[in-house]
Amino acid sequence: MYKGQRGGGKNRFYQRRKICRFCVDSTMELDYKNPKALKQFITERGKIIPRRITGTCAKHQRKLTVAIKQARQIALLPFVGRPLN
Amino acid sequence: MKKYETVFISDPDMSDQAREELLERVKGIIDREKGILLNIDDWGLKKLSYEIKKKLRGYYVCLTYGGTGALVTELERNFRLSDFIMKFMTILITEDVTEESLKQEAEQAKEAAQEEEAAPQEAVAEKDQGDAEEKNEKADENADDQGDAKETEAELTSEPAEESKE
Repeated sequence: MYKGQRGGGKNRFYQRRKICRFCVDSTMELDYKNPKALKQFITERGKIIPRRITGTCAKHQRKLTVAIKQARQIALLPFVGRPLN
Repeated sequence: MKKYETVFISDPDMSDQAREELLERVKGIIDREKGILLNIDDWGLKKLSYEIKKKLRGYYVCLTYGGTGALVTELERNFRLSDFIMKFMTILITEDVTEESLKQEAEQAKEAAQEEEAAPQEAVAEKDQGDAEEKNEKADENADDQGDAKETEAELTSEPAEESKE
């Protein structure tokens, strides 16, 4: 059941429910050694993208943040990235 | 006993001989502190995401071993003393592992390494095909996968990235 799907009311704006990508694909592993996968969850500036935007579940977001922070520590990901332009 | 993983970044300008000596010393420390070395993963020269000691590249080595906390402190003390090591990080993988299970794992890792050595030609052939199809880095890394699987994987990974930017 999607939120706001009743229609008619004031909540006409509803978005497709985002799904946690790590729950869908159990083969995807969260590991600091794979910066390519982690890069999808950080902005160009190097910030971690919040859960409300990516749709990751709480459990996996916790693991994700740890992995990203570990990768930063060992210089696989930037603490502060350059913007694209 | 606990299972740890240590990644260290050494100086990219080091000579091969010095690098080997360094690795030997690390092995020596693990032996001395009664640790069990499970695997040495040589990632090679990699670009750093930020400068460390004014250097933009670093030589990564990843060690997996079993041992006690004393081993980790001793290892890290030596890393700090060494001029060649720019940065290191130790991560606890599993707590409470028995010595026997670790030894078994070490033997299995050795066997796997031998098998890989025995069949390198197949891997090379597959890799060539992959490179021809896609010249990017991904082809190199997933050389073992088949071409089809690679393409679908690339699609899957690229899609959500766009979503997140919105």
